[in-house]
Amino acid sequence: MSSESRASSSGDEASEPNPNPIPKPPEDQLAALALSETDSHANGVVHGSAGENNHNHQEIESDEEEVEANSAAPGLAEVEESREGLPRGSVGGVVWARTNSELEVDGPSSPSSSGYAGERGSSSASSGGSGIDEISEVRNEEVVDGFSDLQASWVPGKRHVDEDDASLSWRKRKKHFFILSNSGKPIYSRHGDEHKLAGFSATLQAIISFVENGGDHVKLVRAGKHQVVFLVKGPIYLVCISCTEEPYESLRMQLELIYGQMLLILTKSVNRCFEKNPKFDMTPLLGGTDIVFSSLIHSFSWNPATFLHAYTCLPLAYATRQAAGAILQDVADSGVLFAILMCKHKVISLVGAQKASLHPDDMLLLSNFVMASESFRTSESFSPICLPRYNPMAFLYAYVHYLDADTYLMLLTTSSDAFYHLKDCRIRIEMVLLKSSVLSEIQRSMIDGGMRVEELPLDPLPRSASFSPHLGQHTLSTDSPDRFREPYIGVGGPAGLWHFIYRSIFLDQYVSSEFSPPISSPRQQKRLYRAYQKLYASMHDRGIGPHKTQFRRDENYVLLCWVTQDFELYAAFDPLADKALAIKTCNRVCQWVKDVENEIFLLGASPFSW
Amino acid sequence: MPSRRRTLLKVIILGDSGVGKTSLMNQYVNKKFSNQYKATIGADFLTKEVQFEDRLFTLQIWDTAGQERFQSLGVAFYRGADCCVLVYDVNSMKSFDNLNNWREEFLIQASPSDPENFPFVVIGNKVDVDGGNSRVVSEKKARAWCASKGNIPYYETSAKEGINVEEAFQCIAKDALKSGEEEEIYLPDTIDVGSSNQPRSTGCEC
Repeated sequence: MSSESRASSSGDEASEPNPNPIPKPPEDQLAALALSETDSHANGVVHGSAGENNHNHQEIESDEEEVEANSAAPGLAEVEESREGLPRGSVGGVVWARTNSELEVDGPSSPSSSGYAGERGSSSASSGGSGIDEISEVRNEEVVDGFSDLQASWVPGKRHVDEDDASLSWRKRKKHFFILSNSGKPIYSRHGDEHKLAGFSATLQAIISFVENGGDHVKLVRAGKHQVVFLVKGPIYLVCISCTEEPYESLRMQLELIYGQMLLILTKSVNRCFEKNPKFDMTPLLGGTDIVFSSLIHSFSWNPATFLHAYTCLPLAYATRQAAGAILQDVADSGVLFAILMCKHKVISLVGAQKASLHPDDMLLLSNFVMASESFRTSESFSPICLPRYNPMAFLYAYVHYLDADTYLMLLTTSSDAFYHLKDCRIRIEMVLLKSSVLSEIQRSMIDGGMRVEELPLDPLPRSASFSPHLGQHTLSTDSPDRFREPYIGVGGPAGLWHFIYRSIFLDQYVSSEFSPPISSPRQQKRLYRAYQKLYASMHDRGIGPHKTQFRRDENYVLLCWVTQDFELYAAFDPLADKALAIKTCNRVCQWVKDVENEIFLLGASPFSW
Repeated sequence: MPSRRRTLLKVIILGDSGVGKTSLMNQYVNKKFSNQYKATIGADFLTKEVQFEDRLFTLQIWDTAGQERFQSLGVAFYRGADCCVLVYDVNSMKSFDNLNNWREEFLIQASPSDPENFPFVVIGNKVDVDGGNSRVVSEKKARAWCASKGNIPYYETSAKEGINVEEAFQCIAKDALKSGEEEEIYLPDTIDVGSSNQPRSTGCEC
């Protein structure tokens, strides 16, 4: 479809007689919050100019690996000020083809030319015989079915173990994460072998300590395109070196999460080990958890929970979720601190003992830990874990059991000898879930997926009607297979709406629309998440914010963000989308979310203090 | 986090400027020597993998600057060291006399848990110079000092000729490894919900 026809299609829609352009929500409160163009002017709209964000294209990215396109790696070279004999920026031989063609593909002139995704996909970085074959391209077929997650194409575990700071390939990785001790001993490195990077680790420690010696703290070093972000947590130092253009705040938050993941595995008691013995080597304690960290780092590019600090639920009929919650509540009353039922990274239901509350970040780290560790899948497990936001100093015990390939139950307790009790609880829960066909509902929801921008209702309908035929109990079982067979040629939803994320502040939950063309490849999805992340950071910037609305147009998207006391909405539109229509569409999205909130959110059914 | 357990040893090299710390390290790690003197700025870091008694471990060598102006970096650099190498030039009495200061300084800054038994190694470098004719510190004198400080192992080396360098570092690795042997049990608290979520004060047993 050409851009012309698409522009006209949105024009059609605009001219379409719409009896009620701005839906009047039932609650006065929501009506008052309806976003309108004039409002947004009053609130100080930020107009991003085209080209403002164009650096994003110049990244050669595959779904997971990020490798710097530029042939010189000045940033890393500068950090390693005291090393000698390294090929500092002298990278002559190897050629990383930069594919500027993407800029054209992405350009506003033909953002939706036929084979949009395909063209993207084929503009692969040629590795020029450098021997790094990981810069393979995104596999488009993985996303055709509409419910693909980026996880699908991600190979878990650590790669490039042979690399060290002298390797050209290592220096070209776009995003490094390091954990080290305050004596400069390496604990974790995302790329390369920790021991081979001992010298680099020492350099990082020297930089941090040098600044601390002067009674100061180093937070950020900019070196050309690279940002070096430091986070000091007592005896643990965390460093990110990145040229991904992500905001400092986002990178720092990612380091916080990595630190949290470490605490989840070991608790903050490691600090005492360092106090007692500065030589303390943490690596044996973290043995085998490499994959947990790499999985978390991977989620920074696909899981919005990592920057929204909210969790998301699997869409389910209200009654189904209630049934799951009831049985969880049952066991929670028998001495279980938290009972959590999840499907991949989505919550089905969770309950906590009185007064106990679970932070979304803890849930993210816990589910990442469970999903990344293969051993949880094969047997019922009982493992000490720490919820850093709940109590960073001490362990809880987690009973984990997979009910099917994707659905797992986590029962957290403070008692180290509760295994058999929790096993009994699980058997009871499993029986109830099977009998009440909750498990089959879960599987159906997995296949059906969540909200789709194509299904955004045009007119406000009575609340009793289901706007999304596949959501919850209104599902027509014959509906979904058809949907998947249909090749998507679409351009997203009405008014050029491509995607949205709605975060309920009160519930600490978010809902994200399913990805559909033109945001189809994992790489495009990552790019969109990065754009959201940037938007999130700018909306929450303490220096200039908080903002209420932001309208930003560049050659990739129109991004619209709307923050109220109750929710945050992030929406991505076609770069040619009409502003007034986009605003109108956002109002409709909010109304839609409100209408199906029983199915997409876990509502306060349990005595849970959020 | 390698699956096979490997040990990383932090080794600090101290000594007056110009005694050949960087040259020793370069000879050991890169088997190279340069006559040119280049002052170390702050510190240099080198990594060497060593096999010792069927165990693979990594030496993280901190080559520090000898100049006094860099001494403010002390704590940061010395923290968590597994072994400290004190280097002097056998042709310079002052560099030998200063060994005592370097040792004291290290023990103060690094404050190891057991200072009496902290592994040091002393190296008398540049034994090749002038065929040994310009030597001012006798081996006897050096060994006597080492003995008085708790039998510190002593080596005489030539970084230029590569004499005894390998042996000295073998000893360094051995000593560092010995001091890091104690296996510790990691046992943090469990949350006690009954007492308002405060962890029990039983302490970490490590």
